[in-house]
Amino acid sequence: MGGAHGALPAKITCDVAIVGSGAGAGITAELLTQAGLAVVIVEEGPLKSSSDFHQHESEAYPSLYQESASRKTEDKAISILQGRCVGGSTTVNWTSSFRTPESTLRFWQERLGLKDYHREALAPYFDQAERRLHIAPWLTEPNENNALLHRGAQKLGISASVIARNVKGCWNLGSCGMGCPTNAKQSMLVTTIPAALDHGATLLVETRAEQFVLDGGKAQALRCVAVRPNSAPVAPGQIATTIVAKHFVLAGGAINSPAVLLRSKAPDPHALLGARTFLHPVVMSAAVPEQRVEGWAGAPQSIYTDHFMDTQPIDGPMGFKLEAPPLHPVIMATTMPGYGQPHADMLAKFPHTHVLLALLRDGFHPQAPGGQVKLRSDGSAVLDYPLTDFVMEGARRALLAMAEIQFAAGAQEVLPVHERAHPYTSWDAARSAIAALPMKPLLTKVVSAHVMGGCAMAATEAQGVVRADGGHWQIENLSVHDGSLFPTSVGANPQLSIYGIANRLAQGLAQRLTGRAVVLG
Amino acid sequence: MQRRSLLKLGLVSGAVLALAGGAAVLLRPGLEQGRLSASARGLFASLGRAILQGTLPVDAQARSRALAGMVERIDALTANLPPAVQAELSQLLGLLCTTPGRLGLAGLAPAWADASEAQVQAALEGMRFSSLALRQQAYQALHEIVGGAYMSDESTWAALGYPGPLPL
Repeated sequence: MGGAHGALPAKITCDVAIVGSGAGAGITAELLTQAGLAVVIVEEGPLKSSSDFHQHESEAYPSLYQESASRKTEDKAISILQGRCVGGSTTVNWTSSFRTPESTLRFWQERLGLKDYHREALAPYFDQAERRLHIAPWLTEPNENNALLHRGAQKLGISASVIARNVKGCWNLGSCGMGCPTNAKQSMLVTTIPAALDHGATLLVETRAEQFVLDGGKAQALRCVAVRPNSAPVAPGQIATTIVAKHFVLAGGAINSPAVLLRSKAPDPHALLGARTFLHPVVMSAAVPEQRVEGWAGAPQSIYTDHFMDTQPIDGPMGFKLEAPPLHPVIMATTMPGYGQPHADMLAKFPHTHVLLALLRDGFHPQAPGGQVKLRSDGSAVLDYPLTDFVMEGARRALLAMAEIQFAAGAQEVLPVHERAHPYTSWDAARSAIAALPMKPLLTKVVSAHVMGGCAMAATEAQGVVRADGGHWQIENLSVHDGSLFPTSVGANPQLSIYGIANRLAQGLAQRLTGRAVVLG
Repeated sequence: MQRRSLLKLGLVSGAVLALAGGAAVLLRPGLEQGRLSASARGLFASLGRAILQGTLPVDAQARSRALAGMVERIDALTANLPPAVQAELSQLLGLLCTTPGRLGLAGLAPAWADASEAQVQAALEGMRFSSLALRQQAYQALHEIVGGAYMSDESTWAALGYPGPLPL
């Protein structure tokens, strides 16, 4: 229902309403329907599937991403890629799958008192998610963009490894970010959401969860509005449907999940709602080796190195993870700095361009506290994320590390993606230039595809929005099952962390609501 | 010196807002129901010529066609932005299309349609490295919209040596 799929009834009654249809929502929907619960899934974006995915950025960005893939932090210094369609970010992500790093879990246990979040306790839930979504190391030869990371790291004695991907019969096209045209990517769109629908769930699309009606410490109902493709309301000020459920699960993704609670004026006695929202701020380095790279072809992000995370304490200067992203025309033209002939020269080298990115691990140090989700006057969400000097110092080290690896791999020139930088033809030249770059927002290109936090789970009420089991501290029948739960960033691409943790939380919820034990798979 | 120039810029932007941020912008927003106004179309054609100089086709007719296509794609892009983002962009474009806005925000003396590529590039350079966040943000937005819209169509991929997606 919703959009062209059919009108919404004024009132819907069900056992559980789930906001969102991405990683956390999909896993939760499959498990709760398996337990026999009547589930309604509310998705703001459209339903698009493989026959709509033509590997064109011009179609994918406006229809499958938040804000046409141009979502920005409040000061416009960080661009955020986040899905907005059935399947959420899992429909458009680059398939990288990592279990939550042990160093992150240790921090959650020791510093935040989340005692149940240790490797052994989570392992069965990760095992199940990996089996369900065909997550396995990518054993095909990496594309040249990734092979360069491997060769450069090897040259410097840095260990680099193969990334696991959630794919089945992957054609190695490299178009993951535009929606998988062959249904090889095991996103929520082709796995848990269809399974939940088979078990009787109802899916509402082009329908935004506007606010909860809260009374007596419980969510009584969820008010939803019908939205146009650009997320403007179809009928301003009009509620399209009101969902009455015994329980509600919020899984609209970080930024959007806390925004629903902010719009609902949910109790927030310790001013934690929307706070500590993390991005893994990303900086990039573009290199040109002699050979063709064709960064658009073949599986993106199949090789990574955690050398720059593992070699320093988690709560010290920021660590970072290195990966090699897919390259396509729109991303290329908007990422390369400058204009006129110098810009044209960079674009002309596109087939030879190799790009590395560094994900900075935020949330583990007082000077990397993340950002705050706020509401604009029209109720839409915006993230205020200050790029502190501490974060930007990590960004400088990341630009240095990437340039060194790229020269070691045979780059003829390296361009740190920064307005004041130029292509440098030797490691020495790059090193001294990067050391002198003003590492300021709006000069340094910073992007993000990993939004986490804002509804942090915590061992005590004073520390978090939800309990360790995902239940809201103040609202009895409301749970949060998405990346907004994380009390720090993950320190790795978050999809498998969300699958595994949502799997555990949803099994617990199914048990509490029905007395029945269900297992993913 | 630093402080004085900051104050000066503050005054300029204050004056711009006073002159153009009131009635003028309210009367002539850059977007009308999410679509580009006529003057915003002219603004993007001028920005496209400057930003994409060296990438655009050399032949004059082909260049005009390429820029016209880009403007159409920007129009489609803005129509699909959420209302809050449209409102912000509309204000920016509206402001840039007024004389005080063009002078204060972009630092460009001639009208967009009359300015040479070099003059527009100099204005862009001023915004790019401005100490005023508003001017830097404007530069980043215009750079992203122009580059992204231009390269989103297969007619422009030859300049990148991009063959397009593998046919299935």
